Amino acid sequence: MLRAKLNRMIGVLVAASALAAPSVFGQVKVDPALPEYKPVKGVSGTIKSVGSDTLNNLMTLWAEGFLKMYPNVQIEIEGKGSTTAPPALIQGTSNFGPMSREMKAQEIDEFEKKYGYKPTALPTSIDMLAVYVHKDNPIPGMTLQQVDAVFSKTRRGGYAEDVTRWGQLGMTGAWANQPISLYGRNSASGTYGYFKENALFKGDYKDAVKEQPGSSSVVQGVASDRYAIGYSGIGYKTADVRAVPLAADSGSEFVEAAPENAYTGAYPLARFLYVYVNHKPGTAIDPLRREFVRYIFSKQGQLDVLKDGYYPVPAAIAAETLEKLGIR
Amino acid sequence: MVWLTGGALAVALLMITGLLLLVLVQGAGTFWPRPVERFTLHSGAVHMGEVTRVESFEPDESLFSQLEGPARARAEAMLAEGGGLIERRLVRIGNYELTGEHFAWVSDYEVAQREEPAWALIIERLEWGRFYGEPKAFLIDGEVAADSPEAVWALFNEHHRPSRQRWRERRHLEVHEIGRVNARQEAARIALRQAEIDHGVESPQAAAAAARFEVVQHEVEGEFSRIRDAIRALNEENARFKIVLSTAQGQEKHLEAAEIVRAFPANQLDVTSKAGVYASRWKEFLTADPREANSEGGVFPAIFGTVLMTIIMSLLVVPFGVLAALYLREYAKGGVVVSAVRIAVNNLAGVPSIVFGVFGLGFFCYLMGGTIDQVFFQAKSASGPTFGTGGLFWASLTLALLTLPVVIVATEEALAAVPNSMREGSYACGASKWQTIKRIVLPRAMPGIMTGMILAMARGAGEVAPLMLVGAVKLAPELPGEINSIAPFFHIERSFMHLGFHIYDLGFQSQNSEAAKPMVFTTTLLLIAIIAILNLAAIWLRMRLRRKFVANQF
Repeated sequence: MLRAKLNRMIGVLVAASALAAPSVFGQVKVDPALPEYKPVKGVSGTIKSVGSDTLNNLMTLWAEGFLKMYPNVQIEIEGKGSTTAPPALIQGTSNFGPMSREMKAQEIDEFEKKYGYKPTALPTSIDMLAVYVHKDNPIPGMTLQQVDAVFSKTRRGGYAEDVTRWGQLGMTGAWANQPISLYGRNSASGTYGYFKENALFKGDYKDAVKEQPGSSSVVQGVASDRYAIGYSGIGYKTADVRAVPLAADSGSEFVEAAPENAYTGAYPLARFLYVYVNHKPGTAIDPLRREFVRYIFSKQGQLDVLKDGYYPVPAAIAAETLEKLGIR
Repeated sequence: MVWLTGGALAVALLMITGLLLLVLVQGAGTFWPRPVERFTLHSGAVHMGEVTRVESFEPDESLFSQLEGPARARAEAMLAEGGGLIERRLVRIGNYELTGEHFAWVSDYEVAQREEPAWALIIERLEWGRFYGEPKAFLIDGEVAADSPEAVWALFNEHHRPSRQRWRERRHLEVHEIGRVNARQEAARIALRQAEIDHGVESPQAAAAAARFEVVQHEVEGEFSRIRDAIRALNEENARFKIVLSTAQGQEKHLEAAEIVRAFPANQLDVTSKAGVYASRWKEFLTADPREANSEGGVFPAIFGTVLMTIIMSLLVVPFGVLAALYLREYAKGGVVVSAVRIAVNNLAGVPSIVFGVFGLGFFCYLMGGTIDQVFFQAKSASGPTFGTGGLFWASLTLALLTLPVVIVATEEALAAVPNSMREGSYACGASKWQTIKRIVLPRAMPGIMTGMILAMARGAGEVAPLMLVGAVKLAPELPGEINSIAPFFHIERSFMHLGFHIYDLGFQSQNSEAAKPMVFTTTLLLIAIIAILNLAAIWLRMRLRRKFVANQF
């Protein structure tokens, strides 16, 4: 489903990139067709966000940008993992639920049981889940099956043997005999769930994976351990780690974790980062949430996405998402 | 035995001083300005920035096989010289909006030239992190007013302070003036909602409230446009002054003077000016709001939240704990039940703090808070809970529960230490039980009770795990106890920032983790200092009380 969405986006993006004078940032651009955000009157109240840790900094950046327009809005942001988002939305203790994966059917059911309608998912930005190794690691790339064999004890991907040493991935010299040290996220994290679903083919993680409380600590763990491997959002990349190019299977080529590959859908672990809201279809959404969502999908909001190291959504997706909430 | 006990003390001291020294050395050095270096590589690439870390590494063969001809020979010679190791430096290159990177590694064998350009500026700005570049021109109204580095620097210094002053004025307008107007509008809106809930949408009361809302709305619009005009004027004035910088790669960047928090030519500073930068960075750290997802700016809201929470917690826990201990020690008759209670209290001290957090979330936030919302804040809570979620008051209550055993045990010990002969003497003079407790027992036990409070404060201020559940959040710049012009002045229902949680957040969740690492130590240093200050204050209070009570007794 995600792949289909991303593929649909390609067309949109190619069309968009043909337009002139985009805001340049490194290699990535914010779609110039996105509207500039202009503050309106009568916005006040509290924005309370509970959910993903991957989106934690991004929510904070959006909140800071929003605060500049509406200094009197109160902002509270909590990011302990995507799994914490649905209960908070259901309980009504938050009005935004950032998630780095889609809601599971069971979570949607629980929400529906309480409110009688489904929560609304807003795809706010694009992330590539990167497999990180130490900066000195010369490995040219890995197939998803190899990734599965490294991280999973069930090997649902179908790789022939359990991989525990770097030599098994074709590395030579001093690397060959070194055991692979595994870093990952804790189970409350959406990154954990997404990786399990897409890189482990719904298999189970090895017990040896060192579970970290945050995306950044995975990267720091890999940075300080020469023979380590770990996974985390592309926004958390530092100079101390390298993102391994990945291939969907042994027949395809290795694809760099670079923005152009996220948009074309060539990178196998590209995903949307969502923000969920509780909105009864057909009703008008309150001004505070309406304006915050408009800010997210404005030029400034998508520039914040770049600032955090993720990739912005094209204007067509932004417009379609706003339509879902009846915002124009 | 002397050696054993002395040795144990020495080991304990060694560990504590070691930890404190580590925090002190790492934390205190963070803000000291470092020189800016420019590395020109053989490949033609240029990196300019501050060197933050140096390490030796054993290069992989594959690394050198990419090199050709002289480059390879040079690298191999360097490798032989270093005994198989080569040094590399982590350079903070900043300019994130241009490069997409905050840091870059530079290995020695790649470097063709290494220099410290005299006019390289370190610029700390409101957005996008640090900028490194050399001054090229200063623009006033789009016209070049200066183009030599010295002249640009002089002009920048002349215009920077007034620009920042205008920026602060703008912030004041935005936060206080607009805030006041917004609060008024929100109050009218809530009154309307409440009237609709209480009397029905069609009722005359609701119509009256709607009329009032209209009037307020109209007035508010007028005030808004007045404030907006003032802000626009300030913005336009600020947009006139821009500094043009060229990066090491030769790109040009225009920056408004008002966007720049601090700029200095790092390679020209003497020790006094470096100390000035150092002090100014500390001042910002202690008094400013955080910026850029907490990775820059200050931690004032977190300091405020920590201190206020600790004080509220102490105010809650001490009376409860002392009363409970008084009953246990003075009134209750010894027996199985009292022993059981005592054991239960002692065991409470051993319950993991996260369990208190879960209890606080379920009982205080959801049950009590939810009920309060339903009864008192029907209209306001329609768009989100008021008390029915984590907040300062619930966090203080949870920590008060957590530290209750400490206070009870300390108070009981202090009461037990009051000699029985004093009580009996008091009874012999005809005093009642309460008079005896009030006049004889409590004053004597007061220092011990205060010790319990000090212990409780130290325990509470450093606790993080339960707070993550009951109200500490990553960003809550609005202070929970801010005394502003908007009633009800204190917002104990609000979430708050906490230094301990801030440390966790910086350490494990920061996007720019390399830049956040030194901040972790600095924030830790600050938290330790604050706990020490709170304790010293309590000790000072204890001394005063001791003197007062002892003097009154005779």
